[in-house]
Amino acid sequence: MSESFRQANGRKVVSRASAQELGTVSHLLIDGPYRSVAAVVVGRGRRARLVDWAALSGFGPDAVMVADEGALRTPADAREQAAADGKLELVGRRALTELGNELGIIDDVTFNPRTGALETLRVADRDIDAAALLGSGSFAAVLDKSQESLP
Amino acid sequence: MHLLMTASQINGLPVVTLGGDDVAEVRDVIYSPEAGRLVGLTLNKRGFLSGRRRELLPASSVHALGRDAVMVADASCLVLPEDAPEEVAHPGTDRNVVGDDVLTEGGVSLGTVRDLALLVGSTGEVVGYQIDKVGGGEGYIPLPAQLAVSGSTLVVPDTTEEFVRDDLVGLGAAVEEFRSRLGMR
Repeated sequence: MSESFRQANGRKVVSRASAQELGTVSHLLIDGPYRSVAAVVVGRGRRARLVDWAALSGFGPDAVMVADEGALRTPADAREQAAADGKLELVGRRALTELGNELGIIDDVTFNPRTGALETLRVADRDIDAAALLGSGSFAAVLDKSQESLP
Repeated sequence: MHLLMTASQINGLPVVTLGGDDVAEVRDVIYSPEAGRLVGLTLNKRGFLSGRRRELLPASSVHALGRDAVMVADASCLVLPEDAPEEVAHPGTDRNVVGDDVLTEGGVSLGTVRDLALLVGSTGEVVGYQIDKVGGGEGYIPLPAQLAVSGSTLVVPDTTEEFVRDDLVGLGAAVEEFRSRLGMR
């Protein structure tokens, strides 16, 4: 079973210890080189908190479970702050090849909910293997040149 | 495949790292007419009216030049003029071929240079010029790899006259034939 970024958006985040809802998923921060979800951003703006992927007890179809409220932390660096502000959101970002040609806008991203590993990127009605992803930043997601569409 | 762009289409492109961050945008190309290639790029800060950056991008640090972006490995590819290769930091003042007359070896004037046409891809090879034709209108001429350039005139082989094209696509097709005619490949 795969999850997708669009489906995950807005899912509630629940503490296993207190059974309380701590917020909802607003973004997923990816780790470019490892092509996986590094952290879940809970809430938006100044009140946004992060949960590291390793600190999740489960990414379920109805709720994202954490051990307790202590799993939520504030952004630790500029990149995490940018993620909390929604500036690194992969869905809606332009996809460039490493040759500098735009392929389109990323519609959705699927990932494995057990491991966090990215699976496919949906760009302009094509499903692109996440293995082609070289990095993702403030301007674009960069894909390797095997994705260059030939004229 | 020949995908060509003019220098004016490259100006304004974002400079993007393989990590996906936009670190600058292209202000202008630095070109060596003798070598027939791009040697580097001058840069602006990103964003509307945000001004010039001192750093330069040597062509040797360009990962790829594309339709939509100039790709670099990371932000350290941008170097201060004092750390840049001489040809990038201090290009000759007679390097600007725009406005020069294009004369064939037989002494026929084809027009004046308006812009450069570059091969898009991993290199920055300049394969032709956009010209304002003598009789009016614009055209594109292919270039040999090297040619004689003075401050005001370029001398091109006589064959060039047969290869004047109306657009970049036509030029792309003409370059290879032109060069094989000259025995370049």
